[in-house]
Amino acid sequence: MKFKTFAAFVAPSVFMMLLFIAFPLVSVFIQSFYVTQPVYETVAVETCTPGFTGQICTTETKSVPRLDDNGKIVEVTRFVGLESYRNVLEPARFWAAVKARSWAALQAIDFWKALRFTLMFTLVTLPLVIGMGLAIAIVINNASRAIRGPVIFVSLLPFIITPVIGALSINWLFRGDGILTAGLEWWLGRDIALFAQAWTIELLMVLYRVWHVAPFAAIVFYAGLQTVNQDSLESALIDGASRWERLRYIIIPHLMPLITFVAIIHLMDTYRVFEEIVGFSSQGHVISLQWLTYDFLKPDQAGNRSISRASASAMLTMIGIVIILVPLLRRTWRDHRGAGA
Amino acid sequence: MQIRKILLAGAMSLASTGAWAGCAFENTVPLKSLSAGFEAWKAVTDAMAECGNFTAELDQEFREKQPEAFAADPALYQIGGVANSTMVPLLNAGTIRPLDDYIAKYGQQLSANQMIKIDGETYAIAMMVNNQHLMYREDILTDLGISVPTTWDEVLAAAEAIKAAGVVDYPLGGTFKTGWNLGEEFVNNYLGEGGAFFGDGNMPAINNPAGVRALEIMKAMTAYMDPEYLVSDSTYVQQQFQQGKIAMANLWASRAGAMDDAAESQVVGLVKMASAPMGSVRPASSLWWDGVVFATNMTEEEADAAFRVAMEGLDREMVEANNDVAVWLIDGYVPGPAAEGAIATANNGAVPYPASGPMGIMHTALGNGIADYLNGAKDAATTLADIEAAYLTSAKEAGLVE
Amino acid sequence: MSARALRQPLGLRLASGSFLALWCLIAAFPIVWITVMSFKAPVDAFSSNALHVIFGPETLARGKGWSVLDIVLGGAVIWATLWLAMRALPGAVRAWSPQGAVALGWVLGALGLGLGFIVVFFVAVPALTGLLNPLAGPLGQDVIGATTEHYRTVWIERGFANNFKNSLIVTTGVVTVSLTVGTLAGYGLARSGSTLAFWILILALVFRALPHSVLVAGYLPVFINSAEWLAPILGDNAPTLYGKPLAVIAVLVAINQPFTIWMLRSFFSNIPADLDEAARVDGCSHFQAFRRVIMPVMWPGVITTGLFSFLLAYNDFLVTSLLLDASNQTMVPAIAGMFNRETTTTDQVVAVAAAVSITAPLFLLVMAFQRQIVSGLTAGAVKG
Repeated sequence: MKFKTFAAFVAPSVFMMLLFIAFPLVSVFIQSFYVTQPVYETVAVETCTPGFTGQICTTETKSVPRLDDNGKIVEVTRFVGLESYRNVLEPARFWAAVKARSWAALQAIDFWKALRFTLMFTLVTLPLVIGMGLAIAIVINNASRAIRGPVIFVSLLPFIITPVIGALSINWLFRGDGILTAGLEWWLGRDIALFAQAWTIELLMVLYRVWHVAPFAAIVFYAGLQTVNQDSLESALIDGASRWERLRYIIIPHLMPLITFVAIIHLMDTYRVFEEIVGFSSQGHVISLQWLTYDFLKPDQAGNRSISRASASAMLTMIGIVIILVPLLRRTWRDHRGAGA
Repeated sequence: MQIRKILLAGAMSLASTGAWAGCAFENTVPLKSLSAGFEAWKAVTDAMAECGNFTAELDQEFREKQPEAFAADPALYQIGGVANSTMVPLLNAGTIRPLDDYIAKYGQQLSANQMIKIDGETYAIAMMVNNQHLMYREDILTDLGISVPTTWDEVLAAAEAIKAAGVVDYPLGGTFKTGWNLGEEFVNNYLGEGGAFFGDGNMPAINNPAGVRALEIMKAMTAYMDPEYLVSDSTYVQQQFQQGKIAMANLWASRAGAMDDAAESQVVGLVKMASAPMGSVRPASSLWWDGVVFATNMTEEEADAAFRVAMEGLDREMVEANNDVAVWLIDGYVPGPAAEGAIATANNGAVPYPASGPMGIMHTALGNGIADYLNGAKDAATTLADIEAAYLTSAKEAGLVE
Repeated sequence: MSARALRQPLGLRLASGSFLALWCLIAAFPIVWITVMSFKAPVDAFSSNALHVIFGPETLARGKGWSVLDIVLGGAVIWATLWLAMRALPGAVRAWSPQGAVALGWVLGALGLGLGFIVVFFVAVPALTGLLNPLAGPLGQDVIGATTEHYRTVWIERGFANNFKNSLIVTTGVVTVSLTVGTLAGYGLARSGSTLAFWILILALVFRALPHSVLVAGYLPVFINSAEWLAPILGDNAPTLYGKPLAVIAVLVAINQPFTIWMLRSFFSNIPADLDEAARVDGCSHFQAFRRVIMPVMWPGVITTGLFSFLLAYNDFLVTSLLLDASNQTMVPAIAGMFNRETTTTDQVVAVAAAVSITAPLFLLVMAFQRQIVSGLTAGAVKG
């Protein structure tokens, strides 16, 4: 294919990605080395606000941003180098905690606390999703043809449901005396509060994520199972391979590319875990890397945002993602070279 | 019969959008407003919509958009709904206009108490006030022979007695959800102890005996609360009350009406209101107001129309139709039993929430940092020191601290 | 012989069957449960006693309930809808759609079925049972407390239909644009062995992994002030992009592009290159070869990819909540708004009803398309 033709085919797609993803990304990268802030002046201000019986007036000295002639806030931008990265990583406290060999002290620093949970969440859900997905795919494939349609439909429900709604339903089912917590209490005969400590919340998050994503894995694997080579299965049967051996040596290798695909998608998605933190309002116990970025970025009531730290934290998250993707990138590179040769 | 209901509902919704039914004039200038989304705002914006050509956006995340939307030229919204704290960024950026001329023209019915004045100029018109105050189950306290608690020690003693009697699941409720709610609880208690948040040059000043005492009160309360307190917001506490699961809570005045709502409450008539418990100095509460502001970046014609429409929303008829939705500041409001707690709290000397740029950062740092203390991960002094450090980092980045 | 030799022992079949049953229960339970909740009065819906939620004594006490007759009729309508979606709809669409507009046929068919269901279930059935119940004796007595009032509140008083319309605009836009742009790019990437193609794919993969909140937050000031910075180019007619569905469609398409082009590329890689080579030998350009040879065989992959685009656009919260104003808001941020405001318990049940309403179209969609999803995936839309 000539370059011109190729360019014509991919141009619209590449243009949109550059405009809406690459360009903002570059600006995030630049922002992480700069701090932009208004110029404040200290003035005495008399403020009168309503009380119940009458107005309450107070005079205080306040920091008020200076406005220019056009009525816009005067802002200065200065280069701060790696300061925002330092503010996110807090290396001084990190090394102090490491030297003291204190896990608790390390987990008192937001970034490392978030990193701990993000990694745990990613690594724990990965095998569970693959395992559950495989199991569901195999039992669906095992079911009689008549019920496969409805069963696939029901299996897909957790995957298609709007994530916001999914997290909310978990809230209704488990929070306080939610129906499932009440059921557990009745079954175990003791009082249970699932949102009261970190480990139960983490458990709920893991279960929710597996519930939500396993159907996707299952449907991909199920599609893969339809193309398993029947001849090799039969010859394995003649060789006296047991059911388990057939699964282990024929079916799983056949599905391996799909397993890699699902694993990659899952790694990328769980590494930026965020909805669960907000949906379960768990930030008192557990936070994640993307939540940290979001929290820096979200304006407080007075409109302050920490854009520089948010950018730094986003870049750090990206570095993590690239590290996770390295094995895949290397493989794709090898395939590409192989195909080109 | 169901068809008839549907048709009727359809007809009514048509009628209500049918313009200027309850409005003194017909508005011809297209206007938009952006405000928070609770009941009182719904009532007020519905009343404004009666003038026609008005659309209201009720969005609980409004504060993410409001500063940007008002800074655009022309502003995307002509009318804004704010509270003490959310007015700060608009005022700082100069994107809301002084209102004295319009008040002279159209605002005769406004009381002086409604006008938010900055250096003598009015920048906002308040419509309601709100604060957190004690709500309690009168029947339970009477049965156990406990008088209505007025200090935290009395609240804790009452909680102990209720726990011993075992009449409810949890003696206390609390809006301790991590983030804004939890920060607000600390602010209330710290103000109750007479603490000040900042020293000179916006330096933090919360790591002191008053701060430690405020934390200790909060921790003592959690012993009597649902162990899931870190996820309970005001809607949840209100529901716990309605389902008869808790006996006392320091809850928002705007929630008082729901206790007697027969459609959802199982404790109708049993929940009574009282002043927020006293700290060492004043009640553990802070006074809030909600009101309207008007964008700088709009034409004089729009500003004129916007102010008139807003006055129609804040009039006597609206209050008469929605008397118990809020503690209104508007003429015509008749304080009912639901407002008793809010008024008692104010009369006991509660102070306004100290809204400012640095306070926004401090509130966020508090909301994120206190959970570690309640979880037992840190002691009180370390918690406060860490919150001060987090505040300093953010305040330096914002340019508020050298 | 293979059939008999492959037959599984009873124990294994039982284990497999019961695992499947358990999974289906877990998969469906939360959705079924919130559906039940949405039909109850607030006191019942949030009761901690499961039986109260199911039978709704408090709702019944308020004179709102369903009789055996209601339940049978309602059940029949639901069953008929499911049957139509699964069996009749695919055939009908294939038979009635004009050539090349199958996707449109699907959209219209699904929409028609959904609307038909709403009219029959919420208007016709209640009217019919209203007449029949008094005549049916004990079968006409209310046995289960239930009410559809929350749905009426959502759709009529809260104007949810407008949000539904907006969701429809945004999702249709995203799916159409995303597939058009993505199919071209996917084909180009699959047929080009150049290093540039490789780097585009790698870059797309990294983009796919990016946390969205970082990108999206940067859009807000740019979109709000677009009238100012577009003015030099477009003059006085420069639009404010904030609040415009078109702008949101563009953003969602871009965010979704990396996944779309990866899926479509692997799908096209599985279509033998000989096919279009042959067409090229016959004198077709690349575009003609694409249109004449590839387009007819690409539908399974495109439908599957389109479904993923649909899910992304329909379920998105981050972009839509930030960049759309009230009049153009889609359903997901509208529902989140119902929760975030200071709510009463009644509001919460109304929001539950909204949550169920938003899930219903997804139901129909998956029912109609599940065969295509599986066949699309099998045909190689997904290959490592």
